Amino acid sequence: MEIYCLPEFLIEFKKLKSKKPYRSLEKDIITYFFDPKKTESLHFQSGTNLNNSITTPYIKKRLNGSGGYRFYFLLLIKDEKIYLLFVHPKSGPDGAENITDESKAELYKKVLLAIESENYLKVSCDKERNQLTFSPLLEINKIETPDEQPPRNNR
Amino acid sequence: MDTLAAKRTLKKTYQDVRALSYAEKKDEFMNEEKVNAFLDTILDFKTKIKNETKVIYDLNEKIESLTWYSNWDEECIQMLNDLIALCKDLRSSLNRQYYNMSAIRKKGIAKVEIREFKNAINELRETYEDIESVFFFLPQIPEFKETTRKLSLI
Repeated sequence: MEIYCLPEFLIEFKKLKSKKPYRSLEKDIITYFFDPKKTESLHFQSGTNLNNSITTPYIKKRLNGSGGYRFYFLLLIKDEKIYLLFVHPKSGPDGAENITDESKAELYKKVLLAIESENYLKVSCDKERNQLTFSPLLEINKIETPDEQPPRNNR
Repeated sequence: MDTLAAKRTLKKTYQDVRALSYAEKKDEFMNEEKVNAFLDTILDFKTKIKNETKVIYDLNEKIESLTWYSNWDEECIQMLNDLIALCKDLRSSLNRQYYNMSAIRKKGIAKVEIREFKNAINELRETYEDIESVFFFLPQIPEFKETTRKLSLI
């Protein structure tokens, strides 16, 4: 599975990670989304399927009981890709109730726009350091398909 | 006079201590058996509440799993509507149970277990609200429908 995220997700992640009650967030993401046993999209087909879709489910998943988080992500089954859209904790200073239907719809639209404009980040996991790294897709594409060298003047 | 009164008080006190000491030796107020029985009751309560919490979490998962089925007919949608109403009723009963535990909670007994029980109840509410969103509200939002259509083409 390839994992990506919206820029908004990264902002939220950084904000939460800097706060003491949410120090476990990075580890929780690694445990759930980077579990080596979860090699197929099938392993992520749980939680609430908000768009009731079989091919591109928009999922809300609660993790870790009372002190845990709610994750919103899109699963592209055919491409084996996950797009993390939003995370919010259930408790602590940033703890919140369920988000509104309008917010769910807005997030959903945002991910479509991000996919269309390739404005998202690739999420990787450094297993040794137990850390996540976020790389903008546009930069990755530049490395993978470097621009042609301008013609040299051989005079 | 003072000496006599002192002697009387001393004797009375002596007898009280003697009687209490004897009674305590015979039947300790906090003997091991009684402490164990008290702790067993707490453990029993913790086990019961843990089991109840697990039942609610399992139920939440079952309700959530309904969102993975598609092609619902009118009859199913109506049943789903009834299920949501039942869940609301269940939540009220569970909330009553939770509030009945407030005295125990305030004394700090089974704090973690009661907190997790409350979380399971909150998640039940969230689950039926989400089900309502998935089948009744989100499909009514034109932008949401349009996003689903566009994503299916990717």
